[in-house]
Amino acid sequence: MRKAVIFSLVVLAVTFIDSLDLTADYIFSSYMKHILFVSLAYSVLTLSLNIVSGFIGQVSLGHAAFFGLGGYVSALLTQVYHAPFWPSFLLAGIIAALVGIPLGAPALRIRGPFLVVVTYGFGEVFKYIAINLDITGGPAGLPGLITPSIAGLSFSSIGVSGKEVFIVIMLIMALFLAFYMRQIGESRVGHAFAAIREDEIAAAAMGVNVAYHKLLAFVIGAFFAGLTGSLFVHYLSFISPDMLGSNESIMILTMVVVGGTLSITGSFVGAFLLTILPEGLRYLKDIVGLSYDPWLVLFGLLLVIMMRVKPQGILGVDTIFRR
Amino acid sequence: MLLLQQIINGLALGGIYSLIAIGWTVVFGIVGLINWTHGEVFMIGAFVGYFLITSFKVSFFVALFGAMIAGGLTAYLLNHFAYRSLRTGPKLALFITALGASTFLRNLAALLWEPHSRAYPPTLDFSVQTFTFGGSALTVNTLQIFIFAVTLFIMAFLQWFITRTMMGKAMLAASQDLEVVSLMGVEVDGLINITFWVSGILGGAAGVLVGVLYAINPYMGALAGLKGWAVAVLGGVGSISGAMVAGLLLGVAENISSSYISSGYRDAIAFVIMIITLIVKPTGLMGFKFEEKV
Repeated sequence: MRKAVIFSLVVLAVTFIDSLDLTADYIFSSYMKHILFVSLAYSVLTLSLNIVSGFIGQVSLGHAAFFGLGGYVSALLTQVYHAPFWPSFLLAGIIAALVGIPLGAPALRIRGPFLVVVTYGFGEVFKYIAINLDITGGPAGLPGLITPSIAGLSFSSIGVSGKEVFIVIMLIMALFLAFYMRQIGESRVGHAFAAIREDEIAAAAMGVNVAYHKLLAFVIGAFFAGLTGSLFVHYLSFISPDMLGSNESIMILTMVVVGGTLSITGSFVGAFLLTILPEGLRYLKDIVGLSYDPWLVLFGLLLVIMMRVKPQGILGVDTIFRR
Repeated sequence: MLLLQQIINGLALGGIYSLIAIGWTVVFGIVGLINWTHGEVFMIGAFVGYFLITSFKVSFFVALFGAMIAGGLTAYLLNHFAYRSLRTGPKLALFITALGASTFLRNLAALLWEPHSRAYPPTLDFSVQTFTFGGSALTVNTLQIFIFAVTLFIMAFLQWFITRTMMGKAMLAASQDLEVVSLMGVEVDGLINITFWVSGILGGAAGVLVGVLYAINPYMGALAGLKGWAVAVLGGVGSISGAMVAGLLLGVAENISSSYISSGYRDAIAFVIMIITLIVKPTGLMGFKFEEKV
């Protein structure tokens, strides 16, 4: 609880301090707020994948599919059917959650490495569908999405940079999900998740409904990823098939593992670290004057080294059964 | 007739898929690792072949041989530096290591060799032959036939290696139970090194063969590696002969689907086939059943 309060205060301070006209613009510039928003969005995604890959131990490489799906649902509803933002936002989460059922269904039959590639395959198929359909705008995506409004006020008209409301909503979602996950962890469902994670056969023998809990984890994860996707595309006012792609999924899974599976604080650490690091490196690159962006090369190397030194992640705990 | 034409067009690419898939399947069967870097080994093979041909003006077969050695060496080094120490660790850490190594190699290649596409210079004589068959025309590119023949030769050699040599037999046994094989006096580390060499050699060869047919670029490994995995799953993971048949099937299926459905979905076919296989028949065409032990 204390961690959450300090975290929110810091986020809110960064968001609103320039509204008070105290500091020079460039310290908490619009760019900083952009990074903050993206970090928070990835925190929600990482948390939601942590339910699937951490809590119940089903490694999924298709999580960006829910993120992108939520984005496309919301984009199409507001742009093609001229629906208002808030119902589209909710519907984006619900549709993503519904798609979570068929996407989670293979997990009932397929285990371990096979599940990884099946979820990966699902994500890729979604991407090819988005590229090839006319309604989704093909490879170029959909530009010019509406900016949401609250009580008649457009988000962009509130605050200095117009990003403040987005940040606050994303912060609320992240905190809500974090507390919700704490609750799950201590509930009957959470114990069932843990049992399935540690030994599926033993859990089934003890009367835990494996199929139901696996699907439940996928559905919860997908719902929050869908909501994030919706808010994210309206923030950018643009969506493209890249959002669904495997690179995003790999990044989210990496955030979970680097932060530490099962650790809620770890998910925030992973998401913030892996969002801020590449931005920082890009800044460094401009100072040093490199002609290329070294981030992805370094990122790969860091992952290999990290898994060697601390395979359970920064804040992760070693489970009893090392698998 | 169009169907027959598409089948002929698909065979050369299918043979290459088989080579990539065998590289996947031997490593997974023995080490149990999703070898995410296999696509990068394949890409490195393609580039080594390219530089051998353009800078050193060697013949096609020398370039193929050089690329096979380079591929094998890359796979061996990857095992040595990245995977070896984690083999008994958590599976997720091993997988993330593979993802990291793959990202590292792919982007390093893009950095060193620039991310644009290149085409192999014409090293082989080939011609396009037209046959009339039952009243309609069939065009056959001799280059494709040649590629297909090379892949068949490599696969025949591999089959001989696996079934006739002691080393190959040990690999075959290890893919069923590594622990028991080690109890029988086989040195496990050496066996795993050889497995990575074999996998890399096949990947490197596939890289050169793709390079002769299509353009190459540093990012080519991502999709090719995954298609290799899809083929390995369709054939039955751990089964070499299954991977051979499944590769040809996928090559043909891709060509047929792009002419009958839509070429935009061409690359998605592999994943659809893989998902359906895993849900309907997880053991694939020729795989053996993995019994889960309590």
